[in-house]
Amino acid sequence: MDEEQTPEPAPGQAPGPDQGSAAVTEPAELLGEMTLLRRRTRVARHAYWFPLVLFGVLICASAPFYIQGHGPSGTVQILRSGGLPMPLLGGIPGLLVSRYLGYYWLIALLAGLLLTVLWYRRQAGQIGVATPARRAIITGAVLTLLAFSLPLISQAGHVSWLNALWPGDLVLRGTFPFLIISAGLLVLAWAERSRALAIIAVVYTGVALVASLYDIENIAFRLGWNPGPGDWDLTSLPNVLVPALVLLIAGGGAFLVQRRHRSA
Amino acid sequence: MSQTGELHPTSGIDERVHQRHRLGILTITAEAQRAEFGYLRDALGLTAGNLSRHLTVLEEAGMVLVEKGYAGRRPRTWVRITGQGRAALAVELGALTELVRRHKQSAAGGI
Repeated sequence: MDEEQTPEPAPGQAPGPDQGSAAVTEPAELLGEMTLLRRRTRVARHAYWFPLVLFGVLICASAPFYIQGHGPSGTVQILRSGGLPMPLLGGIPGLLVSRYLGYYWLIALLAGLLLTVLWYRRQAGQIGVATPARRAIITGAVLTLLAFSLPLISQAGHVSWLNALWPGDLVLRGTFPFLIISAGLLVLAWAERSRALAIIAVVYTGVALVASLYDIENIAFRLGWNPGPGDWDLTSLPNVLVPALVLLIAGGGAFLVQRRHRSA
Repeated sequence: MSQTGELHPTSGIDERVHQRHRLGILTITAEAQRAEFGYLRDALGLTAGNLSRHLTVLEEAGMVLVEKGYAGRRPRTWVRITGQGRAALAVELGALTELVRRHKQSAAGGI
């Protein structure tokens, strides 16, 4: 391998034979160095603790929209008014969630994605290596906009084939946005080349699916939670707070690990 | 060419890549969307002048793109690997891996 002061070949020319032989070193040593460089660069650019905490906080902040006391009359009112404005983002307003949930998630998801873009841009400026997070952001944005627009298109244009895309019971509890976050995290794990984030994203996806299809309150009841008559509106909260807790704990852990690596 | 007619692993090596620091530049930029000049300099333990010379070689070979910009008022130089650079890096790492494999094989054979 040549030293720093080895003369360079003229532009467009390959190095001479003496330079070529000087460039040859122990292949195993060179491979080991490159592996180390790749690992250091990867560790330096890991910054996924922020989106984990951010989306954990956004899920926690959505909790008030899942507490509702309208009961069946709200459902009747919505159905009479000509359908559901955004069921993929907002569930079935009046039945289990607030009618404003869809608006909250439309704004929260887009704002979360924007903050994530700014975060990775800031990290790249500070550390000097940029994570290719663009695909994760685009995935999240496209899914959010599709979830917002497809029901409206389906209703307005009577496009019947769109019904084939209906995700069934996944929208009942208004937790479909949790799965949009899952998709974004899975793509981000690939962009970050992080096995840890991939595991976190898979665990979170599992929890988000359970929260979408099952009343987690049943587990809370078995564990001894016994809500009073005035607290029944709160029983949907475990379905919201458990996925949020997964993201917050994982984000906190990732923050500590990434800070330790930087200071090392 | 070996006795069996098989090409030697080094036959596909590009001499512009087969250099520790330039290989390091390609390795780092392949790992990130782009890398800043200062990061490359520190990670590779080079002076700014030497890093510039290595970048010029890689840029002229079409293996990296050098982009200049600003972060606030501070000028920044970013380096991005191209498809050609990724291909050259893959060939180089493949050749090195094959060399290591052959070396281990011959060592195991008691040669």
